[in-house]
Amino acid sequence: MDLVLVGLNHKTAPIEIREKVAFHEEALPLALKSLVREFGFDEAMIVSTCNRVELLASGTNNGAPVDGRLREFLCRYHTLDASVLKDHLYTYSNEELVHHVFRVASSLDSMILGEAQILGQLKQAYSCAEDSGAIGQRLGRLIPHAFFVAKRVRHETKVGHSAVSISSVAVELAVKIFGELAGRTVLLLGAGKMGELAARSLLASGASRIRVANRTFERAREVAAKFGGEVADFSRLEDEFVVSDIVIVSTGSKDFVVRKEHVDRAIHRRKYNPLFIVDIAVPRNVEPAVNAIETAFCYDIDDLQAVVDANLEERLVEAELAESIIREEVHNFSLGDQHRNVGAVVGSFRQTLEQICLEELSKVRDSFPETEYRKLEQMMLRTAHRIAHPFMVEIKKGEQPTTAEAAALIKRIFRLKDSE
Amino acid sequence: MGGLLFNAAFGFYVVGLFHSGIAFLSKKDLFVRVALYSVAAGFVFHSGFLIYQGIEKAFFPMIGLRESLAFFAWTVTLCFLIAQFRYRVRAMGLFLLPLVAASMLSTVFIKASPIPDILRSSWVYFHTTFLFLAYGMFFVTFLAAIFYLLQERELKRKKPRTFYYQLPSLSALDHLFFNFLIWGFVFMTAGIVVGIIWAEQDWVKGWHSDPKVIATMSTWVIYLVLIYLRVTAGWRGRRAAFLSLIGFLSILFTFLGVSFLGGQHSF
Repeated sequence: MDLVLVGLNHKTAPIEIREKVAFHEEALPLALKSLVREFGFDEAMIVSTCNRVELLASGTNNGAPVDGRLREFLCRYHTLDASVLKDHLYTYSNEELVHHVFRVASSLDSMILGEAQILGQLKQAYSCAEDSGAIGQRLGRLIPHAFFVAKRVRHETKVGHSAVSISSVAVELAVKIFGELAGRTVLLLGAGKMGELAARSLLASGASRIRVANRTFERAREVAAKFGGEVADFSRLEDEFVVSDIVIVSTGSKDFVVRKEHVDRAIHRRKYNPLFIVDIAVPRNVEPAVNAIETAFCYDIDDLQAVVDANLEERLVEAELAESIIREEVHNFSLGDQHRNVGAVVGSFRQTLEQICLEELSKVRDSFPETEYRKLEQMMLRTAHRIAHPFMVEIKKGEQPTTAEAAALIKRIFRLKDSE
Repeated sequence: MGGLLFNAAFGFYVVGLFHSGIAFLSKKDLFVRVALYSVAAGFVFHSGFLIYQGIEKAFFPMIGLRESLAFFAWTVTLCFLIAQFRYRVRAMGLFLLPLVAASMLSTVFIKASPIPDILRSSWVYFHTTFLFLAYGMFFVTFLAAIFYLLQERELKRKKPRTFYYQLPSLSALDHLFFNFLIWGFVFMTAGIVVGIIWAEQDWVKGWHSDPKVIATMSTWVIYLVLIYLRVTAGWRGRRAAFLSLIGFLSILFTFLGVSFLGGQHSF
């Protein structure tokens, strides 16, 4: 494995640096070609997102250290002085590189732990490199394995599950209360931007109807038209609370708009069916005592933020699980690497034996008629295989370090060439 | 053979319980699945055990405390499997399987009792099966109410911790609660009706003053009230949990306590 990764991310470089080395999507194919043609790399891939820029490459024709050449490329491409990037770049190779790539793909290295975008960006970077003909054996094995690891992490841990933004938390809570949102009605009180955002996510998550109430009827009609909802009566909140399940409050009022007695009576008329009130307004529009009413759940903006924080912490716990999966996969991957090496040795060992036999036989070629010679040839090959066989068995069955050592030993003794 | 089946069932239940515990702590779905499948396997062996015993004794094996405990464990497990496949309440196993395991284990220490002649009637099949299914369902109902309370508490306090992540939505728990409540009640009513017909036919008079009959009727009334309040006044959460706790305690009293008070049901 002589892949090398050079890059920087949100942890090692501030935005001022990151934006200087970012690659435009349209410029990627050219940049990749330049890496392969001018810089002579066998393989190359460029990952460029707003939080990271990473170059992966292997093998140069001139034998210069790969990481140095990659740094050189980065500086030359962006016409930067090497000293600007010096303190921000990291370099990975061998197992560390595999580990890093797996972590990035699984979103453990992301700014928002567990966010799903990075995998898509990685897939894009990979297919771009593939189209540019820059993917060879090494990247072609590593990156798809990284996708596989990311999938495992997503399936086996909950690192990307819980909501980590205000409006997605509102949806998550609604789902925790109502289960399916299908058939539920959202009431939007007021017309704040945040409120509309939350209403939109609720509708996108399956809520069936939306009603809009505003102090000015015109404004209510406007917003209702935008969502394809109905206009609700602002002066009869209690009735509205009976027919709605999720209430989003974001009026510009300086005072409480939703009071305890409204909700109290409404809950009773709802036969204690839960009512979820999200108060996004600052100052608050819902009397805090509302939360004390049975089966009424009232969250203000700080409460939502607290859930975001708790979910992020939950993701941290899940991330540890993910780290153990990644360690396991790094192990599997390098084991696969070794197996491939051993396999290559086994193959070329057999070939060398065959060659020796045939060479020796060809020296006496003239002493035999053609048919006899063919028979002898077959016999010699069988002999070669039989000699090779126990070696193969031994190599293949052994535990790892010993097997690798044995393989290296055979390679050395018979002066076997590398074959891949 | 019977002992082997019993041990296999018990073993699988314990494995299921163990994995439910790990699933609760580690939050890995894998353990939930392992737990579910081992309980299902245990259930198969348990059914085999009951059938084997029935054939061996040429009688439905649920007479006396020992056999009825084993049968009770079976109905509770059945309810668990239904609830789990239908509602996927991850935390259920951890709270329900201890009861199953304890019931199974306790049968080891209780001596089998001979079958009284009066019970040699096919009425007993329906009477006990219905009532035991009802008891199993009411236990799930009780757990669902507790889970509802726990989830509601975390939602109210706005500090998501364990149960917020482990339990399904309030609405799902409410459905679980209500469905098992209704079905439990249907089975209980059927069991009681069968019992009354049977008693009228075969028994000496005075069956209505039998302690177990009275206790069962009180339990039935408690659940009737619970359903009534739920449907008309929308009782859920704390109030429902409270009533279903009383109901379940009443079942335990009916099931275990009354046996010591004498009467027709004391075998």
